[in-house]
Amino acid sequence: MGKSYNYAVKAMSSRVPMILIVDPERCTGCRICEVVCSFAHYREFNPRRARITVLRDPERGVNLPMVCQQCEEAPCITTCPTGATYREEETGPVLIDYEKCIGCKTCIAVCPFGGNSLDYVTHKPIKCDLCDGDPECVKYCVEKAIEFVPVTVFNVIKKKRSLEKITRLIELVLPRIP
Amino acid sequence: MARLGGYAGFYLEIDLSSMSIAKKELPYSWARDFLGGSGFAAKVLWDRVKPGIDPFSPENLLVVALGPATGTFAHATGRWMIASKSPLTGIWGESHVGGHFGPELKYAGYDMIIIHGRSEKPVYLWIDDDYVELKDASHLWGKSTKETILTIQEEMGDPSIQVACIGPAGEKLVRYANVIADFYDAAGRTGMGAVMGSKRLKAIAVRGSKGVKPADPDAFYEAAKAMYEKATSGIWWEISEETLRRYGTPYLVDVLYEIGRLPTKNHWSGIFERAEAINGESLKKYRISKKSCFDCFIQCKMVHHIKAGSYKCTLAGGPEYEGLVALGSNLLIDDLEAIIHANQLCNEYGLDVISTGKVIGWVMECFEKSLLTKEDTGGIEFRWGDSSLLAEIIQKIANRDGFGDLLAEGALRASKAIGRGTERYVIHVKGLEASAQDGRAHKSIGLAHAVNVRGADHLRGLCTYDELPWATKFAYERFGEEEAKKMVIDDRLDPRGKGYLTWVTENFYAVVDSIITCKYGAMWPMIYYYEDFAPLLGALTGVPEHGDPRELARIGERICVLRRCFNIREGLSRKEDTLPERMLKEPMPAGPAKGQVVELDTMLDEYYAYRGCDLETGLPKGEKLRELGLSDVAMELEKMGKLM
Repeated sequence: MGKSYNYAVKAMSSRVPMILIVDPERCTGCRICEVVCSFAHYREFNPRRARITVLRDPERGVNLPMVCQQCEEAPCITTCPTGATYREEETGPVLIDYEKCIGCKTCIAVCPFGGNSLDYVTHKPIKCDLCDGDPECVKYCVEKAIEFVPVTVFNVIKKKRSLEKITRLIELVLPRIP
Repeated sequence: MARLGGYAGFYLEIDLSSMSIAKKELPYSWARDFLGGSGFAAKVLWDRVKPGIDPFSPENLLVVALGPATGTFAHATGRWMIASKSPLTGIWGESHVGGHFGPELKYAGYDMIIIHGRSEKPVYLWIDDDYVELKDASHLWGKSTKETILTIQEEMGDPSIQVACIGPAGEKLVRYANVIADFYDAAGRTGMGAVMGSKRLKAIAVRGSKGVKPADPDAFYEAAKAMYEKATSGIWWEISEETLRRYGTPYLVDVLYEIGRLPTKNHWSGIFERAEAINGESLKKYRISKKSCFDCFIQCKMVHHIKAGSYKCTLAGGPEYEGLVALGSNLLIDDLEAIIHANQLCNEYGLDVISTGKVIGWVMECFEKSLLTKEDTGGIEFRWGDSSLLAEIIQKIANRDGFGDLLAEGALRASKAIGRGTERYVIHVKGLEASAQDGRAHKSIGLAHAVNVRGADHLRGLCTYDELPWATKFAYERFGEEEAKKMVIDDRLDPRGKGYLTWVTENFYAVVDSIITCKYGAMWPMIYYYEDFAPLLGALTGVPEHGDPRELARIGERICVLRRCFNIREGLSRKEDTLPERMLKEPMPAGPAKGQVVELDTMLDEYYAYRGCDLETGLPKGEKLRELGLSDVAMELEKMGKLM
């Protein structure tokens, strides 16, 4: 299992927004995240209503979990014709107000990642709401391919992982040097 | 039927002769008494397959079944199964497989598909929730499994569609053809792909968007969470990390070499001197990625790639342990690249890797003994260790070309056609070529092979407690020390108590095969037992019986007995519950089990006593059947004179 970093999550989150980061190198495509996400929101198991989707290339074994990146300049907010898509507070996640949502799917169309999904039952868009600050998907990711981290240390983690990779390479090469 | 939790509540009935499709309600009693998966298949095949029919005839039934847990958040709920009367063995045939196809079918709203009849032209079944259609598959006929999956996904315009299909081997009715889903997930053994081929059903494609709802969602979620925590912490996680999660099933090569149970040279020995060349560590060099079946906590599927050399650009799922033995040690082949390539060819043609390898092993031994010559094989020389013939012979088998046509019948049929004493070297039980275990080095698996309803195979009754010295402590925890000692659990070479052990194991695996969850979690590591599944299933289905560990064990026993009765009705008795002469009479030539044979009779007597069978004939006792609520089965067998 990959290493997970223990942040002072609560303390940080009051000052800095928390986001979900995904690591396709770790994801094996088990889709537990989809399963628990649908349960957390609908109390049923149904990956086609999950707000996180693993894009799978089963032939090569390559997997990419797709989830809303909570963009700073979110195209889904700026293009929403009814103002249904909004950001909660200043630092919170991007949410959809279903009182206002007309199901036009513009937010799905403009998302550069495919982060928004379509609910197969209501045919309205659905997106990650970070489970009120305690995302269910993160808890059961066996490979730690999804992590919930302060946005400011996102890049630090990526850098640390690169360092780990290079360290492994050095370990591989070193024994060969006489 | 009141809507049960977990189950979709409906099944599909497809008649390919009249091209008719019907959606039917799942009876409550099926769920209560038979749980799902293997249990459903046992019920349906017993009720509706008349004894003596040709497995390739339109009357034969093909059952695709799921369990109540399929598609939910419990361990490894991606498993699904397919069952039919086997064209290879003429008896009970079933095959279990992981991946993502099963959950998709559940989400489409079905617990089962029952298929009968025969289509005039090739078709495939398209299921999109309530929309079900038999579509023309003429353009797919002849295509490999990989091409078939990609073509269907492309023409339907949705790469998330799950496809289970057959390859050319299934179309050509190779008797051990399998069904492939998601490129590498193989429903192998007993020729379920050939049954699909005989019905001219090329594939089943599914898309589903209905949710699975537990009867008590909160209690179910808590129980599933407890399973997750148990699997991913402490000793169980350590075991998984060191074995399945690091290497996948190929880790077994080293383990079984150590205990002298690695089938080598057509099961002649349990020691392969060059095991290191085909072990998990060697295979790791070719790994490009690791993938997982649906909702699995362990995750053991590896994808391999060969960059250069004669097998350049091979992209392959597996081989698993069984493939490494069937195409490797058992043929004295240590060329790993050739094994990876041959294994992938089997996937693409839709051939069972185990039977394919074991058939080749039989020919190699007959060649060594000069019972077969180049004249018989169309000029191909079968020499031990010659990896260069693998690709050629696999293609010939899949296409039923030349000598391959005979081998496509399976080793037992082929040997009977040839005669000349070649039958002696077929390592099989009930016509199914043996999987990669050897009862001489592990007595309980000897018995498990002999009594397995589908033939020489480990997946209905392989016990792992007595396999490794350090696993016995888990048996003490699970069964209690006194009980475990009665089974002589710390000595795999001692046949005492192994009848009871195999009986217990079979019953438990029948439940596992009906839930349906993976053997990796129940067999190795042995994380879960009835006590873990009962709270989960009780909350999931809401059926009181499912929440009681003792009732669950009874369901397991009922399924085992009913499957066995299916074989009894086809004419089997004690004399088929046996092993190849090699296991019974030829002492193991090397390794820790040197000098050992399988003392089958004593173990079999003990097993029959628990299974409720007559010791002399192996026929079931009416008393046992009635005790398990199978009075109708007892009556039918009684009429045939097959009840004691």
